[in-house]
Amino acid sequence: MHIPDGYLSPLTCIATYAIALPLWLIAFKKLKEQLDETTLPLIASLSALSFIIMMFNIPIPGGTSGHAVGASLIAILFGPWVAALCVSLVLLIQALVFADGGVTTFGANALLMAFTSSFVSYYLYTFLKNKAFAPFISGWAGIVSSSIVLALILGIQPIIASVDGQPLYFPFDFALTFPAVVGSHILFFGLVEGIFTHLSYRYIVKNKIIKESVL
Amino acid sequence: MKKIFYPLFALLALIPLGLISENPAWAEWDTAYYQEVLGFVPKGINEAFNMKALMPDYNMSGINEVVAYYLSAFLGIALIFVFFYIIMIGKKVVK
Repeated sequence: MHIPDGYLSPLTCIATYAIALPLWLIAFKKLKEQLDETTLPLIASLSALSFIIMMFNIPIPGGTSGHAVGASLIAILFGPWVAALCVSLVLLIQALVFADGGVTTFGANALLMAFTSSFVSYYLYTFLKNKAFAPFISGWAGIVSSSIVLALILGIQPIIASVDGQPLYFPFDFALTFPAVVGSHILFFGLVEGIFTHLSYRYIVKNKIIKESVL
Repeated sequence: MKKIFYPLFALLALIPLGLISENPAWAEWDTAYYQEVLGFVPKGINEAFNMKALMPDYNMSGINEVVAYYLSAFLGIALIFVFFYIIMIGKKVVK
């Protein structure tokens, strides 16, 4: 799900950074408010979990692979802004230290993996709160919503940036991108994210690591 | 609170499992893939901004793949904790 450098037109890179920048500032402020001696080990550990869970590449039929993100778990425990900042930090480290995801595409990657899934998971969770499977469904829907944004950002590239019918950046259109990206997340990675979110949430609440969700 | 570290350690120990997949992620192909499928490499992808990362693809030349993967995980986690501690210290200094 990490868009590499060179896949997005410069305009897309600039636009996604421009949208992400004010959101990061708000998220950073929210994080500072919530960060204290008690929350720090937990917020940092959950961010570390997100980093680690993304290292588990899961092969699926069709010759590709993918992974969970871990944004949903943080979102339902600490709210969408903190979650989005934590996952943005993880993405930044991945881009700068491990060349996993581009530097020019970091804004786009943050919007789709950090912000989209955090907010979708959070609001769905507050809506489903008392349902037994709320964490699972929030996790599944969070990563599926990210994949929809990913498909939109990628699929639009050949339309906005082609010369003489030859694409300059990501070359495949919506018809190809949508089923591959969104379909694989509905069927596979969404389930992984859902199970991860659900089990981790139950574990955290059961062991009273955090009093019921702060929501 | 310490209990949050147990699942973290457990997943950390299992991390080589993440290397099993030979498949690249969809839309994270190298340029050879485009040459094969399209007959050309899109200009932007061919001339992409290329940053020298410390451990590209969680790998380091001369180091065993599994060891490098563990090192990557430790490094990533360390950087994450450092980030939050710096914010925490910054917050106290301001106060």
